[in-house]
Amino acid sequence: MRALNFAKRNFKEIMRDPLSIIFALILPLFLLFIFQQFDIPGEAYKLENFTPGIIVFGFSFLTLFTATLVSKDRESALLSRLGVSPMRGSDYVLGYLLAVLPMALMQNILFFAAALLLGLDFSAGILLCAALSLPISLLFIGLGILVGSCVGERASSGVGSIAVQLVAFTGGLYFDASMMGGFFATLCKILPFSGTVDILRGALAQNANGLLIPALTVLIYTAAILTAAVMLFTKRMRS
Amino acid sequence: MSAIKTEGLTKRYGEKKAVDGLDLTVEKGEIFSLLGTNGAGKTTTVKMLSTLIGKTAGKAEIFGLDTEKDRQKIRQLINISPQETAIAQNLTVRENLEFMAGAYGIKNPAKKIEELTEKFGLSPVLEQKGKTLSGGWQRKLSIAIALINEPKLLFLDEPTLGLDVIARKELWSVIEAMRGEVTVILTTHYMEEAEKLSDRVAVMSSGKLRAMGTPQEIIKQSGKDNFEDAFVSLATGGEF
Repeated sequence: MRALNFAKRNFKEIMRDPLSIIFALILPLFLLFIFQQFDIPGEAYKLENFTPGIIVFGFSFLTLFTATLVSKDRESALLSRLGVSPMRGSDYVLGYLLAVLPMALMQNILFFAAALLLGLDFSAGILLCAALSLPISLLFIGLGILVGSCVGERASSGVGSIAVQLVAFTGGLYFDASMMGGFFATLCKILPFSGTVDILRGALAQNANGLLIPALTVLIYTAAILTAAVMLFTKRMRS
Repeated sequence: MSAIKTEGLTKRYGEKKAVDGLDLTVEKGEIFSLLGTNGAGKTTTVKMLSTLIGKTAGKAEIFGLDTEKDRQKIRQLINISPQETAIAQNLTVRENLEFMAGAYGIKNPAKKIEELTEKFGLSPVLEQKGKTLSGGWQRKLSIAIALINEPKLLFLDEPTLGLDVIARKELWSVIEAMRGEVTVILTTHYMEEAEKLSDRVAVMSSGKLRAMGTPQEIIKQSGKDNFEDAFVSLATGGEF
């Protein structure tokens, strides 16, 4: 109940900040439209592959503004006040997660509506992809909480921007990572972002082949990041 | 049972002792001021007593409960209005009150909010966002929020800092009205404020308690003519 109360406040804070909406909703939508205006060769740019990529790219902005919100809260006296309330560390983290999840849902609705307008065939895969993307978004929101717990308000937007770039370049959104080889391909394998894109592409195509490893990777990363976020946030509140 | 009892309360950051062996007793219903220059250890003391940070050594009890072991129980009994104005800037005054009522799980929030709105005269700004309020309104709201759970012990960390004289006097009357009902721990740099409002004061410097008593006792103890001079003398070890 306390987590829900905190989520309500966070949601209002997010919705009253137009920059969050521009970055998380409008920018990825713009990219989806622009890239479909050119006949760019490559599998990644086909609408059925690019749309899941854009969803994950949109999620990276959730990391950015969750990090900003958390770090801003941490530096404000508001959290000192809440620190003496009966709220626990898990209430805060759950409160941030629940506040940002509706944004992930909005992104799905908007991006798939746009993709349908651009020519994507309607299928049950769209619903499956949207449903799977919500738990995946927890990885990105959790990462934002972790970043926001580690660094101050000024640094959080910088670190958040690095996360956006990492997702864009290692997620396989624009090109297949295996094309690059060497260190870059290894980095893509180590990080969970290409896995998230693979899972959503598989869901849209209703094809689960080869998704076990990406699913396990994403699951382990999400669990580890959320656990670290709760621990670090609680520690920061007490320091 | 006292509202606050500390014995040898100490907080160390590395080699530096922010609070050094503080022995303090505050009785129920008192308005008690913690005075000291910047870095004297007042805010650290408030943070330890309000369970925000842990202690390094010593003992601290709030209504007989240990600040480390019984943290969750203590949090039901206390509240704080921190040094900076602690309100959600993008929420309206009403939403701020609703939010904090939710954080404390208040059973009938609407009634409590109505009561606080009336007590603090918040009606004219009830639908205004926090960031659009003047400093005086923000402070009033901050203290109103701190009373949302009907605390038995309230920490007010420099509540009138930066306020104009009228807003300050308004807040004084709010604090005065709490006397006897709520135990108030006040930190302030304004000696006039401490002298007027406090039943007793404690003077701290370099993390240590230098003197404690009623404002009149403090004046007598220092051998000075007025409270401000008495404070300066005690806080500087008689240097001024």
